This record gives sequence, structure tokens and C-alpha cells, in this order.
Amino acid sequence: MSLKYGVLGLLKEEPLHGYEVKNRFESMLGGTWEVNIGQIYTTLQRLERDGLVRPVGSRGDRGKQQYKLSPEGQTALDQWLAQPDSGPQQLHEDIYVKLLLATRIANGDLQPMLARQKRAYLQRLRDLNRLEEKARRDGRIDLARLVRGALLHTEADLKWMDELSSERFGAVEDKTV
Amino acid sequence: MDGRTLFRAIRGGGGQNGLSELIRLTDVTKVYQGGITGALNGLSVTVEKGEFTAIMGPSGSGKSTMLNLVAGLDRPTSGNVVVGDTDLGKLGEAGLARFRRDHIGFVFQFFYLLPNLTALENVLIPAQLKGNIVPGRARELLDQLGIKEIADKYPARLSGGQQQRIAIARALINNPTLLLADEPTGALDTHAGEQVMELLGQLHRDGQTILLVTHDAKLATRHAARVLSVMDGKIVDDARLESPERAPSDVIRVRGEEASR
Repeated sequence: MSLKYGVLGLLKEEPLHGYEVKNRFESMLGGTWEVNIGQIYTTLQRLERDGLVRPVGSRGDRGKQQYKLSPEGQTALDQWLAQPDSGPQQLHEDIYVKLLLATRIANGDLQPMLARQKRAYLQRLRDLNRLEEKARRDGRIDLARLVRGALLHTEADLKWMDELSSERFGAVEDKTV
Repeated sequence: MDGRTLFRAIRGGGGQNGLSELIRLTDVTKVYQGGITGALNGLSVTVEKGEFTAIMGPSGSGKSTMLNLVAGLDRPTSGNVVVGDTDLGKLGEAGLARFRRDHIGFVFQFFYLLPNLTALENVLIPAQLKGNIVPGRARELLDQLGIKEIADKYPARLSGGQQQRIAIARALINNPTLLLADEPTGALDTHAGEQVMELLGQLHRDGQTILLVTHDAKLATRHAARVLSVMDGKIVDDARLESPERAPSDVIRVRGEEASR
């Protein structure tokens, strides 16, 4: 849902039309979240339908319509900002499903699979480090902070692989059915 | 030709594919009396000149043992350790001491500076052992490491990061062939640790061969392009990492719902 609130946040700064919202949103996220213009238009239309944004003036050249934040939109934005992120942890752990399946199918030593995954995480750490350095060189401290979070997450993934390796995951008798 | 220029020459003559071998461990075992912690169990690896290699693994896996054997601080139970042209197994105690003095710089987690000597005097200890006192070179190193203003201060009055930099200068004073670092950031806060690693990265870019034992995968992968994973006294993985330019979205993506309802 954060695209919706991202749009509301950008419109709090000043009225914008769709392409400006897209460009500013992508720039704010430092290229880590690419949105297509269709998503932006759909989002703006829904926000207008719900009374959270209002069109400004009439359509300009090539039919561009600017929007501004409404008082209701301001309230919705403030409420969202005040809420902590909660709910279930979002995991996208293909590797865990692979390990579970490989345990059933191969019923053997999963060390090579863990080692390959570990190597991929090491490479990701290196890529993230380079991205963080670049962000700092470019003066994008905000992006560097995001990358820092990703570094810490990847470090945790790596530790997880180490734990699984040291408990000889898959080689022990398994209680799964 | 000073050591630094020499390193550049070695590196320039080598190139990415033409690096020459500096360390060779062949089927090395190390058995400790009364326990298996840190034992090595048939470990073989080679390291090339100019490489920055990180060694990672759980506590007691043999990482530090490996470093100590390469440094000539300890001897293997069996197997061979060769550094440059020197087969360490063929050296007696005096020969090993000379080898360490002339070829090895060692940085430890807890600095081991002598409290009754100033920073500069600490840096000069290995040079004095070599009979080659070079205060100019020591000051130059302190300057390079960003701590020239503390040359005449005593360790107790300095921060951990400053003390570790003195230890690095001490390790470099004799222009070692090889810089070994065993958890050099382990006793430092995040910021000081990053600074120390940045210095090691700079030394590597200047051509220094570095072997680093660390628990910190974030810092290791920032500077080392090779990561050896050690477990139960063996190398279980040897990862050579790439450094291509990647677009931000190829490295990290912030997820969100596709569109709001």
C-alpha cells in the first residue's frame, strides 16, 4: 500500500501531474522501485475517487492533470505515518522451500545447496556494499540508509545458512511428514 | 624501491589473470592436545600476491590457527606451509623469527601495544628488531593512517580505533610481504571498525596482500573479493566475488502492493 501513501506524501509538497509523481517517486527511492505510469494514473484516480486528492485547474497541454492533497488526504497520510509497520513478517524465501523439498526428495546432504546459497548471499553483500558506497558518493544518504537495511537483512540470511549448515540440516532424521 | 612501490610493481606486472602465488598450504593438519578447538583437518589453499582474502567461519573452526601457521607463529602437525619461496617447515626457531620480522605484519583484535611506549615508539619496535630504525617512515605511516598528531601520546590515552591504527602502522613498518589481520575490528565500535577496514582496503588497493579473519560478513565483502569459509578445520567454500556495476534495481527492490485499491 505504500505507493498510495508515497503519492500522497509527494503531493503534500506541491501539486503534481502523473509523470512528475512517477519521476519523483522513483528518484526518491533511488531506482529501487520502478513503477509504470499506468500504476500512477490508477492510484491517482482511486485517490480522487476516495476524496484524498483533488484535481487542480483544468487539463494542461497534452491532457496533463495536476493533483493536490485534500484535507482528508492529509489526515490519511498523517495516520499512516504514525502507524508502525506491523502484521506478519514478509518472507520471500525460495531457498527454504527448496531445502524442504530437497530434504524429502534427495533425503541426503544438503550442504552443497546451502553453500551455493551462502555464496549468492556473499555476492549480494558485495553488491550492496558497492551500492551503499555509490549512494554516499552521490550524497544520497537516504538511499544509503535503505541499502544499510538490506545489508543487515542479507547478513541475517547468511547467518541463517550458517546455522542450518552447522546443524547438518537434512542429514539428521527429519520429523516432517 | 620501497615496499609500497615494490607492491605496485608486483601488481602491475601481474594483472587480474596473471597474479603469482604467495601462500600455499598443502594438506595441513594441526592437532591440539586436550581438545579439538581450532584444529585443522587436511586444509589446502593457495593465495596470490595482491589478493585481499577474508577467512570466515564459526568460533573454533580453525581460522586463527590457519593465520598463525601462515605467520610462522605456530607449526602444523603435518602438511606444508610455503610463503613466497620459503617453506616454513624447513626453518628453525631463529629462522621463523627472522621470517616473521621480514615478511609478516600481524594485526590482532586487542592491539597489544606496549603501554610505557609512545605511539611512535610502538610503531618502531619491529624496525628496531631489524636494526633499522626509521622514525621518518614511522611518522609517514602514522600520517597515512590519519593519526600523525598522536605520535607522542601513550596508548592508554587513545581510543580503540586510534590504538588499532597504531598497531596497523607497527605491522607495516618493515614493509611486510603479507599483512595478516585476526578480527581487527572485533574490539571496535561500528564506526571505528569501518575506518580500520577502509584503511585495509586502501592498503590492498596500493598492492598489499591481506589475509583477514573476521566474523563481519558485511565488512569482509566490502573489501575482500575472496571469501574462504572454514568449518571443522577445512575450507568448505572458496567464493570469488564479482564487482560489476549494477543498477540499483538489480541489487535491491523495495516491495509494495502493486496498486492501491
